Amino acid sequence: MVTGTADGRRRTSLRLTVFSVVVSVCFGALGVSFWYIQVLNNQTYREMAEANTERRLPLRAPRGILFDRKDRVLVENRDAYTISILREHSENLEQTMQLVAAATGVAESRVRDTVARHMSTPRYQPIVVIEDASLAQVAAVLARRLDRELPGVVVQRVPTRRYPSGGLAAHLLGYVSEISEAQMASGKLASGSMVGQSGIEKAYNKPLMGTDGERRVMVNNVGREITALAELPPVEGHRIRLTIDYDLQQAAEDAFRVSGYSGAAVVLDPRNGEILALASVPSYDPNAFAAGIDPATWKQLTSDRLRPLQNRATQGRYSPGSTFKVVVATAALEEGIITPDFKVTCHGGAIFFNRFFQCHLKSGHGTVDLRHAIEQSCNTYFYTVGNMVGIDKIHKWAEVLGLAGKTGIDLPNEAESIVPSPQWKRARTGERWYSGDTISVAIGQGLVSVTPLALALTYATVANGGHRMTPRMVRAVDDGSGWKTVPPADAGVGPALKPETVAALHDGLYLVVNGNGTGGRARLIGYDVAGKTGTAQVISLQGARQAAGRTDMDLRDHGWFAFFAPRDNPEVAGVVFAEHALHGSYAAPLARHIIETYFASKAGRPLPVLAPPAPVPVKAAAQGVAGQDRPH
Amino acid sequence: MFDRRFYLHLDWPLVAAMYALCVVGVLMIYSTTGDAASAAKARLFLVQIYAILIGTAAFVICLSVDYRSLADRAHVLYAILIGILVYVLVFGVVRGGGRRWIPLPLFNLQLQPSEFVKLALAILLARLFAANQTRLLSTGNLLAGGLLTGVPLLLIMAQPDLGTALTLVPVLLGIAYLAGMRLRVAGVLLALAIVTAPIVWNYGLKDYQKARVVTFLDPWRDPRGKGYQQIQAQITVGAGGLWGQGFRKGTQGQLSFLPVSHNDFIFSVLAEEHGFVGVLGVLGLYLFIVARSLDTARRARDRLGTYLVVGVLSSFTFQVLYNISMSAGLAPVKGLPLPLMSYGGSSLIATLAGFGLILNVRMRRFTN
Repeated sequence: MVTGTADGRRRTSLRLTVFSVVVSVCFGALGVSFWYIQVLNNQTYREMAEANTERRLPLRAPRGILFDRKDRVLVENRDAYTISILREHSENLEQTMQLVAAATGVAESRVRDTVARHMSTPRYQPIVVIEDASLAQVAAVLARRLDRELPGVVVQRVPTRRYPSGGLAAHLLGYVSEISEAQMASGKLASGSMVGQSGIEKAYNKPLMGTDGERRVMVNNVGREITALAELPPVEGHRIRLTIDYDLQQAAEDAFRVSGYSGAAVVLDPRNGEILALASVPSYDPNAFAAGIDPATWKQLTSDRLRPLQNRATQGRYSPGSTFKVVVATAALEEGIITPDFKVTCHGGAIFFNRFFQCHLKSGHGTVDLRHAIEQSCNTYFYTVGNMVGIDKIHKWAEVLGLAGKTGIDLPNEAESIVPSPQWKRARTGERWYSGDTISVAIGQGLVSVTPLALALTYATVANGGHRMTPRMVRAVDDGSGWKTVPPADAGVGPALKPETVAALHDGLYLVVNGNGTGGRARLIGYDVAGKTGTAQVISLQGARQAAGRTDMDLRDHGWFAFFAPRDNPEVAGVVFAEHALHGSYAAPLARHIIETYFASKAGRPLPVLAPPAPVPVKAAAQGVAGQDRPH
Repeated sequence: MFDRRFYLHLDWPLVAAMYALCVVGVLMIYSTTGDAASAAKARLFLVQIYAILIGTAAFVICLSVDYRSLADRAHVLYAILIGILVYVLVFGVVRGGGRRWIPLPLFNLQLQPSEFVKLALAILLARLFAANQTRLLSTGNLLAGGLLTGVPLLLIMAQPDLGTALTLVPVLLGIAYLAGMRLRVAGVLLALAIVTAPIVWNYGLKDYQKARVVTFLDPWRDPRGKGYQQIQAQITVGAGGLWGQGFRKGTQGQLSFLPVSHNDFIFSVLAEEHGFVGVLGVLGLYLFIVARSLDTARRARDRLGTYLVVGVLSSFTFQVLYNISMSAGLAPVKGLPLPLMSYGGSSLIATLAGFGLILNVRMRRFTN
């Protein structure tokens, strides 16, 4: 420096040194900071950068296809489009929800609710807001997305359950819907999974679901896909061949539809316990659930007085009425208390324990043996025999035949059938067993309450000579490597009945249909149908007076018809339960149609077609209740 | 004017470092925008090359005219630029929320005059303080300097462009410090800043400016909104690692997760694609430039030269440090370009012109 004092020069030099030291320190600090961020924490930031660009899109596996026993498709899959919101990419979630709702015409509150329910899921997981979008909705969203208005919205094609026959066999097949919070808590399934909620769909949910795949893609900052990184294809769920016969199922449901009754029918093969048909009427359309049921339909289904969602065949419990008489007969014969030739004289009723119990025929059946007592459903005979056998042995043989407890069918939420014992009554009501209780039980009234399935199984056991089978729905499973037959859970349990017992029961039941009995409407020439009608009281006579304001129809008794055919070497057994059919004989023609269809299908003949019968006059029904209509 | 002596005394290593950084900048701009969908954006690196050429012309001009004769006309330069700033405020072109630009018909470019104000201010303040013959800087001089800085500062803030306005402050502080500002005065200024901070916070800052400060302290409060740039900048830098992801291979910059990556966040892209090694290289070049310039300040023939170098250099160093800190999420996000590297013609031309002045001082250290 030329000018300035030496002092000034020194100071300038000193300050320049300070300046350079400060700047060097700053650069050093930056270097250390970058070392810290880039080298020491590289892993963390690299993962964050990957999370930015990598998108994992789940590929839903198609559920396994369900076939009937002759490989006809019962449940399949179709392609549906879902519209989802990717929170991660939506800069303004509020606005995205509004735009999606506006573009698709869905109520904004519904979109909002759906998103709110899934707030706890990882941000990268798309939240499905419209499960089965229409093409117009898809087009509306795609058109907007091109404008970059909706970067956080994804349209995906997903396989969705399709039930080609609509409500046919809806209760046994079940339905699928989005996994609930409770189900998520109990399993390892991801939010948004579609899982079986009832029927076969629920019982075999795990093999049916398959394994979801995944698509890893690289996206840019607005969520547009740049390249696909990897794709793990989904694995289709196992295919299942059911024991159900489509024709028979159709026949059972047609029979109800034509007759106008609600109710249930169960048909099985008494030789191996395979369920051939299992119907519950009225039904619902499971397709409505597959793509997310709308609240209105759900409300309608749950508030319907006829309870279409209930599977009456496995979950409804009713008094078996006179169909129960085979249990009493079996107990009496097997315990050696009577022989088939044991006779009782019926005068239209009898007095037990100081109380008069009436027979349905006021004039009396005269003197009848076991075969004819079954044929004519004589109450007096079974009051007498039931009283001789006692409740404990009745309970024991009901269990042996398969009427008490659960049958063990591979369907969810089976109700337990009740054939009371003194212990059961004490545990349940705290009261002791009265001898009079046994008299009511002997004709299938009182505390007896069974599912149609359990009663069908009981008649199958009677039909095959005493081998109680476990009813089953699955014949074979294909896990992708070919069909594998599913072995039965057991080969049938319980002691075989004595041949005399079987012969007497079969004769009596044959006469019900082919003799002078109440089941003539189920007669089929050449097929030796055996069966038994039953009438389940809906309300007691006293109750009828109190039940003011209900329709006549509601007060009418339920009708049962339990059957097997042919009498010798039976190959089909089952029950028809017709709600408010007034009498078991009105259930018999439904069974007849089912049995006829079975044999026509077996022989390859054209299947029978039902003509609607003349409706039962409602007036007569009302009188029937008010008058003396006792179980047959 | 251009004799062999000048050629010999030109600081070639500094010139080399300067152009090296320019080249790195062009490469980084090409990396982030080279295959952009829009043709205009894909040509940005070419625009930057034109700017370098124009800047080189400015550099040569600033080098050629003796800085002392420039200093003699400093008040004229200053007045002209103030006039332009006023003109911009009234007639300027609005872009990106600020009225900062004047169209330049000749090159089809728009110039940001605020970038050039710091040069004029450096020359004017250097002359003012160099004229002071007392041992320590007088309060009167300091006030005059403050006033001369304050006028353009307020005009630029009014555009509004707080970032560029703030780059004027180091010019004043740097020169004043060298000119012997009492440390007591510096202490008083610091105390004053602390005392007035709450007042400025409550009345001086706009809401969005307050939000930036709050966001800086806790960017995860709003990771998709206000904190987005800061978080993404840090991710971009951190993902680079030791060696980087490779040229044009960084996902953050390439897939636009980091906004304005070719501009304010160009250093983040460099850090992502070339890693810590690349960062050290570029930091080294900047430090080298600062060190060489300080050496020039030390060897300057007169106080005017020293002050001029320090004035230009302070602003430059401040911007470099601030931008690089910001690019790693270590400072609040502010629209300040990285000198020599960021895309932007005005900044580049002004920076090159500034180095023309610095080398001007060095080249003439032996002349009379």
